[in-house]
Amino acid sequence: MNTFRYRIRTLYQYKDLIKELVSRDIKLKYRRSFLGYVWSVLNPLLIMIVMTVVFSAMFNRNIENYPVYLLIGRSLYDFMTASTNGAMGSVTGNASLLKKTYIPKYIFTLSKVTSCLVDFVFSLGALLIVMIVTRSPFHVEMLLLPLIILQIYIFCCGLGFLLAQFHVFFRDIRYIYKAITTAWMYLTPIFYPLERLPGVLQLLIKAFNPMYYYVAQFRDVALYGHMPGPRIFWGGWIWAFLMLLIGLWAFQRNKDRFILYI
Amino acid sequence: MGKNIIDVDHLSIRFNLANQKVNNLKEYAIKLAKHELMFQEFFALKDVNLHVKPGEAWGLIGTNGSGKSTLLKTITGILKPYQGTVAVRGKIAPMIELGAGFDMELTARENIFLNGAVLGHSNEFMEEHFEDIVEFAGLGKFLDSPIKNFSSGMKARLGFSVATMVDPEILIVDEVLSVGDYQFRKKCNERMEEMLSGGTTLLYVSHNIDSVKKLCTHALWLDHGEVIMSGDAQEVCDSYSTRQEQIFKIERKEKEVKKAQQTGNRYDYLVVGAGLFGAVFAHEAYRAGKRCLVIDKRDHIGGNVYTENVHDINVHRYGAHIFHTGNRAIWNYINQFSEFNNYINSPVAVYKDELYNLPFNMNTFSKLWGLRTPQEVKAKIAEQIKELNITEPRNLEEQALSLVGKDVYEKLVKGYTEKQWGRDCKDLPSFIIKRLPLRFTYDNNYFNDRYQGIPQGGYTQIIQKLLDGIDVELNTDYETYVKEHPDSFDKVLYTGPIDEYFQYSLGHLEYRSVRFETEELDMENYQGNAVVNYTDREVPYTRIIEHKHFEFGTQPTTIISREYSAEWKPGMEPYYPVNDEKNNELFAKYRELAEKEPKVIFGGRLGNYKYYNMDQVIEAALETAGNELKRKLL
Repeated sequence: MNTFRYRIRTLYQYKDLIKELVSRDIKLKYRRSFLGYVWSVLNPLLIMIVMTVVFSAMFNRNIENYPVYLLIGRSLYDFMTASTNGAMGSVTGNASLLKKTYIPKYIFTLSKVTSCLVDFVFSLGALLIVMIVTRSPFHVEMLLLPLIILQIYIFCCGLGFLLAQFHVFFRDIRYIYKAITTAWMYLTPIFYPLERLPGVLQLLIKAFNPMYYYVAQFRDVALYGHMPGPRIFWGGWIWAFLMLLIGLWAFQRNKDRFILYI
Repeated sequence: MGKNIIDVDHLSIRFNLANQKVNNLKEYAIKLAKHELMFQEFFALKDVNLHVKPGEAWGLIGTNGSGKSTLLKTITGILKPYQGTVAVRGKIAPMIELGAGFDMELTARENIFLNGAVLGHSNEFMEEHFEDIVEFAGLGKFLDSPIKNFSSGMKARLGFSVATMVDPEILIVDEVLSVGDYQFRKKCNERMEEMLSGGTTLLYVSHNIDSVKKLCTHALWLDHGEVIMSGDAQEVCDSYSTRQEQIFKIERKEKEVKKAQQTGNRYDYLVVGAGLFGAVFAHEAYRAGKRCLVIDKRDHIGGNVYTENVHDINVHRYGAHIFHTGNRAIWNYINQFSEFNNYINSPVAVYKDELYNLPFNMNTFSKLWGLRTPQEVKAKIAEQIKELNITEPRNLEEQALSLVGKDVYEKLVKGYTEKQWGRDCKDLPSFIIKRLPLRFTYDNNYFNDRYQGIPQGGYTQIIQKLLDGIDVELNTDYETYVKEHPDSFDKVLYTGPIDEYFQYSLGHLEYRSVRFETEELDMENYQGNAVVNYTDREVPYTRIIEHKHFEFGTQPTTIISREYSAEWKPGMEPYYPVNDEKNNELFAKYRELAEKEPKVIFGGRLGNYKYYNMDQVIEAALETAGNELKRKLL
C-alpha cells in the first residue's frame, strides 16, 4: 500500500510537467497555422462531410442521422489511434531527455494520451455543430458522456503503456500496429451498421472489440437518447481497467531496461 | 562525522552490447540465427564505491568512456544498479546536459516552464522565479522567440539559469560549461562557488583538470569502470595528470617506432652535441613531430652546463653556470623544465690577505680606502686617473689604469687578468678590456639582469627533460657516426667547432681554455661563498668555486674546484672563443664554406664561434629551430 501511495505522490508531484507537456503538444500542433484550434473542429467536420458523401449512398437508408452516427464513431476511433500511436513513441521520442534527467517514464506516455484527449474534447465541437445543423435532439442521457470518455481514456492509457514499452525493444511494432489498426477500423461499426455483418462476426465484435463498447455507448446516449445497456456499460469499464492493468504491468516490468535500448 | 548524503556501495553497471544494437525484428532474427544474441557483456562500472558527505565537492575524472557519466546517471536514478546499491539523501539538480528537455519549437518563455517542470518544479514556483531566471540568462528581448533560433551559448545560459534556480542539496554538473562565452562561464563558476559555500554538495565531471582542482575538495578517478584512486582532489588530479602524460608518451613512442619502420629508420635531424643549444633545438623539433637523434662525443649529456651529483652536491663540471636573463620569454621557457632558486651571484675577490666585494662597488671602494660616500670615491678615482696622465693607452695595463685608477687595478685587475691570459698586462692589447664598470652603490649583485637563479637539482635534469623521448647516443663522434650511418638522417644540426667540421682546412680558430682541479673536502664550508676570485698573481688559480653554495647546500662535506687558465692548443677543450680580428676573419671564411652546406645548420657557441650566456644560447636555439620548423617559438 505504501508503494501505491508513493506512486500517487510522485504522480502528483509531476502534475505540472504533464500540464506543460500537454500544453506543448497542443500549442505546437497548431502553431503557425491561421485557423489554429479551429482545425480541431474543422478537421473532423470536413472528413465527416467527405465520408458522408461517399458512404451515404451505401448505408444511408438504414441509419437515422448518418452524419452524427459517422462522426461519433470516427471521432472516438481517431482519438484511440492518435493517442495510442503517440503513446507508442513517447518513451523513444524523449530518449534524449530520459538519458539525462530522472523523470518517471510513464509521465510521457500519460501526457501524450492526455493531449490527444484534449484534442478529442475540442473535436466534439464538430459533433455539436452537426447535431445542431441536423436538428438532432439533445438528451438528458448525454450527461453520461464524461464517464464514457473516461472509459476510453483509461483504455487508451493502458494500450499506450503496452505499446510504448514494446516500441522500446522492437521498433517494428509501429508497422505491425498500423496493420492492426486498419483491420480494427473495419471491424468497428464506424461507418456501417453492425447489423450488416454476418451473425458470427457480429457476435465476435460485440464480445471482443473494446472499441465497439465505447462507440455503442456513445451513440446510445448522444444519438438514440437512451441509457446504454448494462452489458456494454460495465463491459466498457472492464475493458478499460483490464487494458490498464496489462499495460501498467508490462511497462513496470521493463521500465528499468528502457535506458539501455533508447 | 555527519551522515553521508550519497552512498555508492559495490556498484556495478552492466550493458549488453549485443542487445543495444538489435531493435528490429529482422536484426533480431538474423542475430538469433547466427547465435550472436548471447551475449557480449560489458561492465560500464565495476565495484565502485563512493561516499560523499554533505557540502563536499567531488570531481570525477577519467578518459572518455571511463564510466563517469554512467556513475552520475546511476546516482540521478536514470540507470539502475546491476549489482550493489546507491543511496541518495537529498534533492538532486542534474545538469548532465544543459537544456535537456528544451523543445526547439517553443519560445524561451515556454521552455522555462517546461524545463522547470522537467526538473520537478511546480508552476507557482517557476512563476515566482521567472524574473530571476530571465535576468541571469540575460535573454531580454529574445524571450518570445523560438529557441531553435538561439545559439548554443544562449541555450546553455538558459539551461544553467533554470537548473540552478533553486539551491539543490546535490548539484550534478557533467562537462556542460564548455559552451558559452567567457563572461557567462565566469558567472556560472561564481554561481557554483556560491552554492558550494552555501553547503551544496557538488558532483562535477570535467576534462579540465585545473577546474576540478579549483572547484573540488575531493576527486574520484575512474578508468574503464574501475576506481583507480579516490580522495583529496590535488593528489588524485596530480596522479591522473602524470599517468595521462605517461600514456601520451608511450603512444608517441609507438607512433615513432611505426614511423621509423615506414621511413627506413631515418631521422629528420641529426643533432651533434647534447649541450643546451642542441637539446633545445631537438626538443622543439620533437614537439613539432620530427624525429631526432642527438649524439655527443662525451659520455654525458648537457655539454658544458653538465652538473654531476656527487654526494648530493651538484658539481658544475665545466665551470660555474649561473642562469641570468633580462628576457622574460626565455625565463618562462627555462622555468618549464625546472624550478629556479633565488641564488644571486655576488663573488668576492681575495688579494693577498685582503678580501673585497665584486663587482667593483661601494663595498669594494669602502674597504679599499675607508671612504663612505660616492662623492668621495668618485673624487678618489678621478684623482688617481689624473695622476697617471694617460692619453693614448698603448696596452691593457694603461687602458685599465685609465679606467679605474691605480689601487683597483693593482689589487683587483692586474693579477687576475695576467693569470687569465698567461702573460703580462703590458704585453696584452688594450682592446681586451673596453670598459670596467664601476658601481657607486652598495650592491654586490654581479648581474644586472631582472631574472637570476640556479635550477634546483642542477642543469643536467633540465637537459634530460628537454631530451625526453628523443634518441640519444653518447660517446659518439660525428665523423665516425656519419661514416657508419651515412643515410640515416636528412639534416644535421652541428654544435661542435665549425673549423673541426671542415677538418681545419683553413686553419685553427683559437680559444681560451680553462682547467679545473676539483676535490672534495671533509669540512662543511670551505670559503663561505660560491665564487671567490684570487687576484694576486702568486696564487696559481684564478678562482675557486664551492659548488654547494649555489644551492645553499648543508651537506657534511664540500666540493671545490680550483680554476686555472690554460693556454689553448688544438685538442684541448675549447671554452671561450677569442674574437679578435684574426680569428673573426678566419671564422668568416668558414662561414662561407658553411653556406655551401645546405643540409647542415651550425649553431651554438662553437658552431657560431661566439661567446653566449645560457639565455642567449636558448634564444639562438629557439630562433634556429623556429626558422627551421617554420614556427614561431618565442
